Amino acid sequence: MGEALIELKDMGLTLPSSAGNVEILKGIDLVVEAGERLAITGPSGSGKSSLLMVTAGLERATAGQVTVLGQDMTAANEDSLARLRRARLGVVFQAFHLIPTMTAAENVRVPLEIAGADGAEETASEMLESVGLGRRADHYPAQLSGGEQQRVALARALAPSPALLLADEPTGNLDGRTGEAVSDLLFELAENNGVTLVLVTHSDALADRCARTVRLDDGRIAA
Amino acid sequence: MKGSSVRDTNLAFSWTVALRELRGGLAGFRVFLACLILGVAGIAAVGSVTAAIDRGLASEGRTILGGDASVEFTYRFATDEERAWLAAAGNIAEIVEMRSLLRIGQGRALVEVKGVDGAYPLYGSATLAVGHDVSTVLGATAGTPGLVAERVLAERFDLVQGDQVTLGAGTFTFLGVLADEPDRASGGFAMGPRVMVSIDGLRDAGLLQPGVVYESSARLRLPSDADLDQLERAFEDAFPLAGARWSDRRNAAPGISRFVDRLSAFLTIVGIAALAVGGVGIGAAVRGYLTRKVPAIAALRTLGATAGTVFAAYLMQIGLIALAGVLIGVALGGGLVAGLGPIFAANLAIPAKFGLYAAPLAQAGLFGLLAAALFTLWPLAWLLQVRPAELFRRESEMPHRAPHLGVVLALVLLTAALAGAIIGLSATPKLASWCLGGIAVAFIMLRSLGWAAAKLARAASHGPIARRRPGLRLALGAIGAPQAGTPGVVLALGLGLGVLASIAQIDANMQGLLRDQLPKDAPAFFFVDIQSAQLEDFREQVMAQEGSERLSTAPMLRGVITGLNGVPAGEAKIDAAANWILRGDRGVTYSATPPEGTVLMEGDWWANDYAGPPLVSFAEEEGRELGLSIGSTVTVNILGRAITAEVASFRKVEWRGMGINFLMVLSPGALAGAPHTHIATLYADRQAEAPILRELGQTMPNVTPVLVRDQIDRVSDGLGKLGAATRWGALAVLLTGLAVLIGAAAAGEERRRAEAAILKVLGASRAAILGSFALRAALTGFLAGAVALLWGTAAAFGVIVFVFDTSFILPVLATLAILGGGIVLSLSAGLLFALRPLNGKPAQVLRIAAG
Repeated sequence: MGEALIELKDMGLTLPSSAGNVEILKGIDLVVEAGERLAITGPSGSGKSSLLMVTAGLERATAGQVTVLGQDMTAANEDSLARLRRARLGVVFQAFHLIPTMTAAENVRVPLEIAGADGAEETASEMLESVGLGRRADHYPAQLSGGEQQRVALARALAPSPALLLADEPTGNLDGRTGEAVSDLLFELAENNGVTLVLVTHSDALADRCARTVRLDDGRIAA
Repeated sequence: MKGSSVRDTNLAFSWTVALRELRGGLAGFRVFLACLILGVAGIAAVGSVTAAIDRGLASEGRTILGGDASVEFTYRFATDEERAWLAAAGNIAEIVEMRSLLRIGQGRALVEVKGVDGAYPLYGSATLAVGHDVSTVLGATAGTPGLVAERVLAERFDLVQGDQVTLGAGTFTFLGVLADEPDRASGGFAMGPRVMVSIDGLRDAGLLQPGVVYESSARLRLPSDADLDQLERAFEDAFPLAGARWSDRRNAAPGISRFVDRLSAFLTIVGIAALAVGGVGIGAAVRGYLTRKVPAIAALRTLGATAGTVFAAYLMQIGLIALAGVLIGVALGGGLVAGLGPIFAANLAIPAKFGLYAAPLAQAGLFGLLAAALFTLWPLAWLLQVRPAELFRRESEMPHRAPHLGVVLALVLLTAALAGAIIGLSATPKLASWCLGGIAVAFIMLRSLGWAAAKLARAASHGPIARRRPGLRLALGAIGAPQAGTPGVVLALGLGLGVLASIAQIDANMQGLLRDQLPKDAPAFFFVDIQSAQLEDFREQVMAQEGSERLSTAPMLRGVITGLNGVPAGEAKIDAAANWILRGDRGVTYSATPPEGTVLMEGDWWANDYAGPPLVSFAEEEGRELGLSIGSTVTVNILGRAITAEVASFRKVEWRGMGINFLMVLSPGALAGAPHTHIATLYADRQAEAPILRELGQTMPNVTPVLVRDQIDRVSDGLGKLGAATRWGALAVLLTGLAVLIGAAAAGEERRRAEAAILKVLGASRAAILGSFALRAALTGFLAGAVALLWGTAAAFGVIVFVFDTSFILPVLATLAILGGGIVLSLSAGLLFALRPLNGKPAQVLRIAAG
């Protein structure tokens, strides 16, 4: 049995809303080992994205234990979580979330610069080359297509060589062909970089490419 | 209108949409309303104060003037013929005014003396604090003549009724505190507190001797149907070269009216500047609102509404909100003045009738509506050009396209209408035109600089300076982003800070000139009214005092210029800058030799023993402004005698030197036999001032010493008050600039929230994110402060060097304060709207941003 990168024990998430508290996640127990390819599926509103957010430390669990990359996520403060992400954890979103005022190359460079890594420029160029966007390095997000933006986001997430990559519907905003190209790239890069991959998806085809699938239903693991 | 025309526009439907949209409330219009209300309220308030003073001056005209008409004489009273002529027209009262030294025991004070007759005042009432009528009290003949004084003097010397005081060579009994002097506002610049005595008392004290400097006036109370124009003409025909000056109740205090008009025109322009700054906020608010309304606009267009219909709907909606803003501004400005004015009226030296005046309120409303239309139309025009497909793509930026011709035409017309209204309705159109031009130049300059700064920031964000500094790159990138509104913020904050910078610098330069530069060159004393027979004793006594350094004296007469080259002065064509020379009496001297330090610019000085027809040496600049050249003639009325002299030379006169300077130096023979006194300046140590005052007071009571330092303090104090008034105006512009700044900061909050979330995902700490937000705000503030300094200093330099004709010194502290102020203001607004984004939960933010 490999090293457990993610350990969720009886994890719950309850968020306040105008209609009262809403229980988003309930009693989640999940372990993800190094090198795994895990897909999280389920209908809309089942809590897939929230599970990913809690794992990334972007949302704080309200019950249970969350340990990611050896860090107790429920006890750590925001800056400790930020340090964890900058060094060992990459995230890719459905809506790309690139910084609009920066070029593609600058977007890729940001996490390396935040971490104070050497050779940020060279690494960023290599990463852009590896996603096929070496020639679009100086373009702003608004000047790139959706597929290109997601490839930049992928390069940005993998630039610091994280141990864990979390992807939330990475092809959800893309057409079928572009989505396929991006998912090919996602798996290829994860493989080449030896990254553990957890992805949230509606797509059965994408889930089928993962070794394991966890299905959520109404905030609980159904299968 | 591409794909649409006016014919397709359904105005009834537009109106319905406008009303429905208004149900959503005014949440997106807070900055819009704040900018409009501030500008309009400021203009309404300034206009209301001016109207109150104008009304006060008009209704109190005869009281301020002291009669329906008044004829002033220099150095003399009305002749018997003049008095008889005037008495035939109505009831007559005479007064005389001069400056003199009042001695109270060992104390001395320079005072403004007013001598009155039994008929004073013809209108209003002059009363003592205890209620008695002044002329009745002063007219009592038993014992020494009486004297009443302003409260400030009585308190300074602890005067009590019955105390003996000395004025000139006469002893007077203090009778009480002067509470009300109805014609006070028509007097000129006061150099000391007022004392009032009877004319007979002054005569007995030797203060009305020939040669003493005084002014008298004969006031008239006329029947209500008297024709003032006809009477003025008749007097001038009867006494054409008398050197008398006519004024009447229609223009009782021209100096005050002129001053109030100019200050009001300036402050109105400051209000317009506030509206211009506010316009940036108005435009940004409309753009922001329309961006949020894209889904609704897209739906309307899909359902068949034409571009014109949608444009009309939002024009109506925003028009209604603008109308509400203008009405609130008018009510606020007018209401504040009407409500609070009466509380301050008691402390005003000039009469004012506070109330709600329709004209200034309508004017403020008109300016507000035109400005709102001007700044709203440009962003609204986007609705005429946008294609429905673009709306569905929800492009975050409004596309830049060549604007619609009709819109450009409307904008040109609106600009012309606004400028025309401002200039046309101003009491000083020339000043208004210049100020408006200045604002336009500043507006274009600031907008261009803001645009250039944004481009530069964007370029720098990709340059070596930002390499490995993601916080700086993010800050520079955000400043340079098209959505950041940097040019607008730089313009708004820069205009407000710039007005403040220029006023602060002009004020600092003027105060510095008075406090530091002038006293170095200025004498310690001026002495006036030295009789010819006293001159040698005076010289000996003053120079014997330890600390006295240098004494200069000159014969002193006063005269009114009544003719230029044989043409009556009032009809001569002269440069407007020289109007002041003809307005009152001017100092005249004579000399056989060029006075010390004379620099002749043209012509020759007369021979030592010259005995021919009168010659005059004229101050060069003023002489040229009067249209004089060598050989021209000038007619001067001195002591009722008209002397026509030929211009023999022009001299360079440095008025600021504060030595003895005269506009006109006559050849000695011209004034042969004319009784006159002497004027003197004394350079002395500060320690010598008190003994000189004390000794002269005892030995030569008729000589009036003027302590220069006291007068500089008075002028400096006056300038300080004027500076305060203009600074309040500038603050209004800055306040509007702040509203725009806050609006921009608030508008950018959502963007910052998303940025903070992404940066957190990428591992940035809260401190690093906050640092980046603070950096961008500080940089924007620095930019605004820097451009404000640039144009504010240029404006102040222009005013100081070209208007006041003196050298400009950059006040370092004020300069740094403006720069620091820009940074602090921008930083405060930036941080205020950075906290929520920083505290936002990234998961929630990213979920919302993803739609």
